[in-house]
Amino acid sequence: MASRREQKEQARAQREATERRDVAAAQRARRLRTLGAVLALAVVVVIVAIVVSSGGSTKKGLSSGSKAGAVTAAVSAELQGIPQAGTRLGQPGAPVTMDYYGDLQCPVCAAFTTGALATAISREVRGGKLQVVYRSLQTATQSPQVFAEQQTAALAAGRQDRLWQFAELFYRQQGEEGSGYVTPDFIAGVARQTPGLDLGAWSAARARPALRAQLAADAAAARRVGATGTPTLVVHGPKGTRQLSGDPPYATLAKAIAAVAG
Amino acid sequence: MGDRPLRVAMGVLTVVGLLIAGYLTYIHYRGIQPLCFAHGGCERVQASSYAKLAGVPVALLGLAGYAALAGTLALRNESARLAGVLITVVGVGFSGYLTYRELFTIHAICQWCVASAVVMTVLCVLSVLRYLRA
Repeated sequence: MASRREQKEQARAQREATERRDVAAAQRARRLRTLGAVLALAVVVVIVAIVVSSGGSTKKGLSSGSKAGAVTAAVSAELQGIPQAGTRLGQPGAPVTMDYYGDLQCPVCAAFTTGALATAISREVRGGKLQVVYRSLQTATQSPQVFAEQQTAALAAGRQDRLWQFAELFYRQQGEEGSGYVTPDFIAGVARQTPGLDLGAWSAARARPALRAQLAADAAAARRVGATGTPTLVVHGPKGTRQLSGDPPYATLAKAIAAVAG
Repeated sequence: MGDRPLRVAMGVLTVVGLLIAGYLTYIHYRGIQPLCFAHGGCERVQASSYAKLAGVPVALLGLAGYAALAGTLALRNESARLAGVLITVVGVGFSGYLTYRELFTIHAICQWCVASAVVMTVLCVLSVLRYLRA
């Protein structure tokens, strides 16, 4: 039989064990509550990121009315007075040539075209230092058939020396990615917006086998230079060649142009 | 599993994540294309508007996330463990969203993104364990 003292010690030990269990349970409960709060905070952060990401990609597609007029006016102002021939934009004697591998559905190409390229057009191209040649490379467009339709539509506009107006209008009015917005109506709508384009001649030119051959030639040229993504920019001049890809800032592009210029 | 093995496992995975995100950030700013085993997958994903968040390349955001996670591993207090949980849960959530976009909007898979998503998911499980078991 335990002595009184031993009974007291047992009772204390039990009390301490119970207290330890209570403390541990309270700590576990507190941690779970904190974890729940952190998870809720994380969900909020992710939702905000998703809203920002989705908002950035929400594009409305082809404009109409005054908005379409504003887009066309902006493109006309950018390209006004710059010589064009086929796929080339700029003076044929410009010392530096930039091959621009693009896909008309590529959002990064759109960002480049309206960003760094627009600045280069207003400076180097307008100043006679740079000519830009548009080449087709399928990346963002999922269907090869749709890719061929949209790119040959641009090349057909190039038969009237209006490829760049067509491409700029297309890029500036891209629809939501992966939504299948490029339909025959969309392509015809871009053509209708292209200032000075003879729609009958454009329509007839689209069926020419030479345009499909041009796409194949561009794809072969892309393989030769190792271009797999868009935009890929091959800048070449008297002092060599520089290759860029993605959406480089204007300063990077200008540096590449200066590096190869004579 | 005690705190030390969890920290070691998380440290190794964080280094793997840093290497993946660092590589993707490097090639983004150098203007070169990623090595890609799935034909056209990486190029299509890179050409997508989802490759950036508010103008910031998602690869750079991932790099920042892994770097912050490495910082939480260097500390042993509860706040650091909790911060690790927050970073990895956000990482898993956003990686899941991007994977959804790859599958159902872009219709292409970038293996680097998938690898990072897997690493982040395992890190998330380990960070929750580390927090609860401390």
